[in-house]
Amino acid sequence: MNAEIVVIAEVAAEGQPAPVSLELIAFAKSLRRNAAEPIRVFLPGRGIGAAAAELARLPGVAVTGIEGESLASYSAEAWKEALAPLLAARKTRFICVSHNANGADFAPGLAVRLGAACITAVEAFRIEAEGPIFSLSILKGKLQMEIVPEAETAVVTLLPGAFRRGDAPSSPMDKARKDGTNTTQNETVLLPEEFRRKEIPPTGVTTLKEKKSEVQGDRAGPPAAEMISVPDIPLKTRPLGLLPAPDEAADLAAAEVIVSAGRGIGGEENIELLRRLAFLFSRAAIGASRAVCDAGWLPCRYQIGQTGKTVSPRLYIACGISGALQHLAGMRGSQYIVAVNRDPQAAIFRVADVAVVEELVSFLPLLIAACRKHREGAAEAGR
Amino acid sequence: MKILVCIKQVPDAEAPIRIGADGRSFAVTGGAWRMNRFDEFAVEEALQIREAFPGTVVEALSVGPARAAAVLRRALSLGADEAIHILREGEEEPLPGEVAALIAAYVRDRGYDLILAGVMAEDDMQAQTGPMLAERLGLPCATAVVAETIPPNGMTIRVERELEGGLREALEMPLPALLSLQSGINRPRYPALSHVLRARTQPMMTVRAGDLPAPPRRERVVLLFLPAPAAKTLFLTGTPAEKAERLAELFREKALL
Ligand SMILES: Cc1cc2nc3c(=O)[nH]c(=O)nc-3n(C[C@H](O)[C@H](O)[C@H](O)COP(=O)(O)OP(=O)(O)OC[C@H]3O[C@@H](n4cnc5c(N)ncnc54)[C@H](O)[C@@H]3O)c2cc1C
Ligand SMILES: Nc1ncnc2c1ncn2[C@@H]1O[C@H](COP(=O)(O)O)[C@@H](O)[C@H]1O
Repeated sequence: MNAEIVVIAEVAAEGQPAPVSLELIAFAKSLRRNAAEPIRVFLPGRGIGAAAAELARLPGVAVTGIEGESLASYSAEAWKEALAPLLAARKTRFICVSHNANGADFAPGLAVRLGAACITAVEAFRIEAEGPIFSLSILKGKLQMEIVPEAETAVVTLLPGAFRRGDAPSSPMDKARKDGTNTTQNETVLLPEEFRRKEIPPTGVTTLKEKKSEVQGDRAGPPAAEMISVPDIPLKTRPLGLLPAPDEAADLAAAEVIVSAGRGIGGEENIELLRRLAFLFSRAAIGASRAVCDAGWLPCRYQIGQTGKTVSPRLYIACGISGALQHLAGMRGSQYIVAVNRDPQAAIFRVADVAVVEELVSFLPLLIAACRKHREGAAEAGR
Repeated sequence: MKILVCIKQVPDAEAPIRIGADGRSFAVTGGAWRMNRFDEFAVEEALQIREAFPGTVVEALSVGPARAAAVLRRALSLGADEAIHILREGEEEPLPGEVAALIAAYVRDRGYDLILAGVMAEDDMQAQTGPMLAERLGLPCATAVVAETIPPNGMTIRVERELEGGLREALEMPLPALLSLQSGINRPRYPALSHVLRARTQPMMTVRAGDLPAPPRRERVVLLFLPAPAAKTLFLTGTPAEKAERLAELFREKALL
């Protein structure tokens, strides 16, 4: 078996390597059995020379840029056609792909084509003697599942942002990890660093630390990226271009307090309760989970999460939100999180500072009354 | 047109969940199972296409143990024409690679013009089955689809996929094709009484998974576990009014109110 680990990188709109690709490279490095194992980055696209050269400056990374007219814009078909023959020939252990919109689109098909294992939306892993054991959320984050590949090659997609924060991964080994490493709340993008395997306890869950200086890479002259070009690929799918995000008034971004509605509010008529609660705070706004926007209880512009807005208010009150990762992706940076949910196992409670296990429709009026009382009390005292 | 909708039966995530003695399976208290919500959108989309293209047949398919027949009944009561149950015994959930191989073995050469799946299953959250099935069948595929139109000649389909930050990508592909649908593409309807009555008695087609070519298993579940509650989380106790009072106090202490 080839010890090599492959990363499928992508280019951001500005022609730079996408931040998720840097995160992926760090992830790939931490999967190695030893620091001598090579990391091979494949970068498909058109006009990607600069991005490939940029990636090639990272230490311990060999880069192959795949140039092709058919790769000018992302297409699952073209990506699979261009990548599969190269990958099949190499028999790599792991092919690391980002679990973003494009990665989730082509990775499962690529795995089938290669006869490889496929493990998606990975959040954490631990290294055992037989290799890494990956862990991911199931049942809207209520349970964690640990899974291992049982094929020569495995396509692994990494949840974007999972390795950015020290507190994200969780596993039975969480405690060991927490004791052994200093966690960071820092939101900046993780930059690759040499993974010092000796430091990791054999069963420890690995999280990666940040080291900014290394983006510059080796200053002793950048090593060149290998560039290959692929002939035109006949495609069934015809790209018709990107449609811009609808321009929306972003009062969510400015809000200091967000009262956010989930499916658990039970219906449009109960949004009024949330509004009344929000009204008691200054600079407050209403937000929502995707389920609420899908149901038409609130317009799409209220949606918070991976495919909605990212917010980080001083206070986030999640009302009847289960805490699926895609929602957490948009709000876990909030400074103080309060969750109200009738299910004590709900995943939202794991990111909450304060948890209230209650029926919303009866609890919110009590909360509104209590908040009003305290506000008036404050006003009296200030007089 | 002939449309296949892939439907998964998933546990109701609100019901208390217990992990089985083997550490690799879970049980739902009260056995609360229902249709994966993303698949409700797929059923609805198929029904809307049938309304636009009279003569279209909508078939629903699910892989699972005997209990999975309930989601197929549900699809029939929503208005699907036929239901196919790939009966796979065993309570532990099959992984997407296995499901995609089983569905592909059944579907091959059956002449579907369009196959619809959900963008992900609410239980395993792997988002693999749709694109894997497309690959096995050699069909063009788009995932996370939030809009779809088929021109009157019924030869192609134009779709919009959802990317990050609300951005969308439009593409056109020839039929047959496979789409995995993102939530919000439509508003799923409620079952009509006439369909509910028909669904009770309508026979379903049952195919034993064991009679299909053995699917590959390239991944193995090692362990399921309940993540520990975050140490920092303060669970309020007492009566609802006491909790409300305490929370309001906390807001004051933090100078939020
Ligand atoms: C590619 C992709 C992108 C996505 N992007 C986003 C995104 O940007 N934002 C987003 O939010 N989601 C997103 N999702 C969807 C996400 O996976 C979840 O389906 C969604 O967040 C669930 O919304 P919810 O928590 O409101 O509903 P549910 O998961 O149904 O949770 C409802 C909660 O309410 C509780 N509840 C019910 N009744 C009551 C009551 N009476 N009192 C108190 N509590 C009650 C329940 O216990 C439950 O926990 C995305 C999914 C995919 C596949
Ligand atoms: N057991 C199953 N039977 C039928 N369809 C399934 C099954 N499992 C998954 N699917 C389909 O594949 C989609 C994605 O599931 P997953 O890959 O498990 O996240 C679901 O929304 C369904 O449309």
